[in-house]
Amino acid sequence: MDTNRRGFLGAMGRVTIGAAASMAGAGQSAQAATDQPHIPHWGMVVDLRKCIGCQACTVACIMENDVPEDSFRTHVSVYEVLKEGGDPAMVMLPRLCNHCDDPPCVPVCPVEATFKLETGEVVVDNTKCVGCAYCVQACPYDARFINHETQTADKCTFCFHRTSAGLLPACVETCVGGARNFGDLNDPESEVSRMLRENEVSVLRPEMHTNPNVYYIGLDAVLDGRVAGEAAYRPPLTVEPEPHGLAAEPQPHGEDA
Amino acid sequence: MQIHELVGAVHEAAWLPWAVQYFFLIALSATALLMALPGLALGRVAALPRARLALMVAVTTGITAPIALLADLHQPGRFWEFFLYTNSSSWMAWGAWFVPSYVGLTVAFAWAVHRPGLYALGQEDWRFNWLFRWLSLGGASNGFARPLGIAAGAAALLVLIYTGAEVYVVRARPLWNTPFLPLQFAATGFVGALGLMLVLERVLCREPALEARLNRALAAALGVVAVLGAAWFALALSGLSPRHSEALASVAGFPVWQKIALWGAVSVAVPFVLALVSPSRTGWVTGLIAIHAAWMFRWTVFMGGQAVPKVGSGLYDALLPAGLDGLMGVIGTFGLWLFLLIAYTTFIPWTEASAPADGAAPARPATSH
Repeated sequence: MDTNRRGFLGAMGRVTIGAAASMAGAGQSAQAATDQPHIPHWGMVVDLRKCIGCQACTVACIMENDVPEDSFRTHVSVYEVLKEGGDPAMVMLPRLCNHCDDPPCVPVCPVEATFKLETGEVVVDNTKCVGCAYCVQACPYDARFINHETQTADKCTFCFHRTSAGLLPACVETCVGGARNFGDLNDPESEVSRMLRENEVSVLRPEMHTNPNVYYIGLDAVLDGRVAGEAAYRPPLTVEPEPHGLAAEPQPHGEDA
Repeated sequence: MQIHELVGAVHEAAWLPWAVQYFFLIALSATALLMALPGLALGRVAALPRARLALMVAVTTGITAPIALLADLHQPGRFWEFFLYTNSSSWMAWGAWFVPSYVGLTVAFAWAVHRPGLYALGQEDWRFNWLFRWLSLGGASNGFARPLGIAAGAAALLVLIYTGAEVYVVRARPLWNTPFLPLQFAATGFVGALGLMLVLERVLCREPALEARLNRALAAALGVVAVLGAAWFALALSGLSPRHSEALASVAGFPVWQKIALWGAVSVAVPFVLALVSPSRTGWVTGLIAIHAAWMFRWTVFMGGQAVPKVGSGLYDALLPAGLDGLMGVIGTFGLWLFLLIAYTTFIPWTEASAPADGAAPARPATSH
C-alpha cells in the first residue's frame, strides 16, 4: 500500500487509475475472501527529516475540509533551535489530532457526540455536539477547536470522507517532501508499519499516556511537549516594558512568523 | 539551548466569560444555601438573620447561574441532549442532572419557607392579594420545608463536588489538574457568598451585630482560602505533588502571573485583616473585596488557564479577551441577578422567614408585610 504522495504517483504508473483509487481499501479487498474481515487501524508516521515547513498540508486541509478562518485542523509549527556550541537549526513539527487509542476528549463529552471509530479515527458528530467545548479543554494537543460556522467542536478526521473512498488524507496527498505517511497500522506489510519497525519513532506528550496514532521520526525531545521557548505571538499582557520604557511591539494576531 | 517559535497557531479560549460567571454564581448559590440551612431548616433561631440573607443569595444566584451556563454552550438549543444522551463518564453530564435538581430543590425550599408569609399577604385586603394567594397555593402549611432544605443541601454538595471535579479532571491543563482545586472552588464560594451577604446586609438590613457575625464568618472562610493557597504553593515548590509543581511551572515564568498571584494574596489578606480588626464597620469594603476575590479566582483559573498553551510557547490572549462580547457575558448575568434580587425583595416577605414548626401546622403566625 502506497502511503504518501510520491508513492501514490509511482503507483499511478504501475496500475490502473481504478486500482490506485481503491488503494486504501486494498487490504480490505485482500481479506474479503476470508471469514474475518480485516479492519484497518489508520495511523500516520511523520518523517521530520523530510518536512520543509511549506504549509502545503495546512492549506490543503483548509481547502478540503472548509476549515474556517483563524482555525486549523493541522498546521506546521516552525522552531529555530540553538543548541550549545551548535548552529541554529530550523525544525518543523506538523501538528494534528493524534487519534489516540485512549483519547481524553471522548470520555468527557457529555452527550457522546465524539467517539472513536472501529478504524481508529476520533470523530465528532456535529449534528449531536452541543458545543460545550469540554473536549477542546481535554485534548492535550490543542488539536480541537470550536468551529464558529457550525458552532460545534471540530478537528482532524484523518479525512475520513477521503479514506472511505480509497483516497489519502488531503495533507498526505499534498505533502511535498513525502514527510506525512498514512496507512494501516494493523497491516504488518503496510509502509507505515515498516517505517515503525525500521525507525526510532516518538510521539507527542508521551507523559499523557494517550497512545497516539501519529508517530514522528526525528522528533527532538525538547519539542514533544509544551515547547519552552520564545513564542511567535506575544499578547499585550505578556509584553514587558523595554529598559528604555517602550513596550516591545506585539506581533499581529493569528498564525504568524 | 534556546528555542524560538517562528510559526505557531494561536488558540482562542473555548470557555468564555459566561463560564466564569456560571462557576462563580453556582458556587455562591450552593455555599449560601448551606449557610441558610442552620437557621431555616434546622431551627437555630440565632442563625436566622444570616440564613435569610443566605437564602436570598442562594435563590437569586442559583437561578442566574444555569442561564450563564446555557449561554456558554455554542449550541444552546441542543441543551436537551444532555438529558437524552447522558455520558456517564463525563462530570459535565452528571452536572446536567445535578444543577436542575439543585435549583429546583432550592426554589422549592425557599417557597416552603416563605409560604406562611405569602399566605398571610394573600389574606389581606389589598390590591395584589390575588397574586399572593396564587403564590402560596392557597395554604400556609410548610412542614415539608425541612426535608426540602436537607435535600437541597445534599444537592448543593453534589454541585460543589461536580463543579470541582469537572475542572480538576482535565489533565491537559496543569493549572486545573490540581487536587486542591475543588476545595479552593468551595472555599472561595463561601468567601463570595459571605461577601455578597455582607453587601446585602449593608443595603437591606444595617444591623451592626449581623454585620459583625458575617465579617467573622468571612474571616474564617478567608483563613481557609489562605491556608489552601499556602499549601498549594508549598506542595508545588517542595515537589511533593508533581501535579502542583507542573501547575506552578506552567505559569511561574510570566510576570503577569506573578502580579496575579500578588493581587490574589492582597485580595485575601486585606478583607481578612479588616474583618478581624473592625467587624462591625467594614461590611461594605470586606464584602466587595470578598466578591471580587471569589470572582477573580475563577477568572484567573478559567481564562488564565486557557491562556496557557498545551504544546506551543508563550501565552495566548485568553487572560484578557478584547471586545464587548466577553464583557457582555459578565454584564448580562449580573444584570439578570440584579433583576431577580429586586423581584425577590419586592414580592417575597423574606424578613419574616423562619424554620418550619414540626408537623403540618403553619410555622408561625403570619404577620403583615
